[in-house]
Amino acid sequence: MRNRIREQRTQRGLSQAELAGALGVSRQTVISIESGRYLPSLPLAFTIARFFDLTVDKMFDPDDEEAGA
Amino acid sequence: MMTFISPRLRKPAIYALAGVLFAAAWLVRGGNLWWVSIMALIGTAVGVVRMYQLGGQDTDEGARAGSRGDERQQMISLRSRALACNLTAITSFIGLTVAIALNAVWWWPFLVTLLITGYGYLFGLSNYGVAEEGTPDDADPERQTRSPIGS
Repeated sequence: MRNRIREQRTQRGLSQAELAGALGVSRQTVISIESGRYLPSLPLAFTIARFFDLTVDKMFDPDDEEAGA
Repeated sequence: MMTFISPRLRKPAIYALAGVLFAAAWLVRGGNLWWVSIMALIGTAVGVVRMYQLGGQDTDEGARAGSRGDERQQMISLRSRALACNLTAITSFIGLTVAIALNAVWWWPFLVTLLITGYGYLFGLSNYGVAEEGTPDDADPERQTRSPIGS
């Protein structure tokens, strides 16, 4: 599943550690989600989408099986 | 009790408790192997300090040692525990089978371990909500008569 986390994060000039702190997860988890190795839970997906002022379906694209942004 | 202990201290505290109990067992046993308890205490102290240091690191292992894992790290830990449990059950079964085949007297520890893992699994299924799915809503005759699809 493709996601736009890396794209949105870099647009806002945030580091992975800063995003992790804002989301309340570890830096390693942000890296895993960005690279598509880990699919976040629904609550975390909503937290991520709200953080970037996007909807979940804008943030995560289930039609694209290729991982990463 | 765990809520009164800082998350970073939880795993080291459990490790320390286990180490002290192990050392006490050697001391209670008596005999000329009393020094093993001293070695166990030294090993425990080193392990506790190492675990505390690890708990402060910004890694997956550090998060696990510091009891501050997020959902992904908890999932990794859960899968690792499941794997460990599977290996324990398989090993116990093999050990029990071999012990029976050899007519050995040491068959029962394997059986006890196998029973504990088996009952633990069943208890987990019961405790974590299997068979709590409820009744399907189409089992309600009132709803069926009200359904626009049915008419």
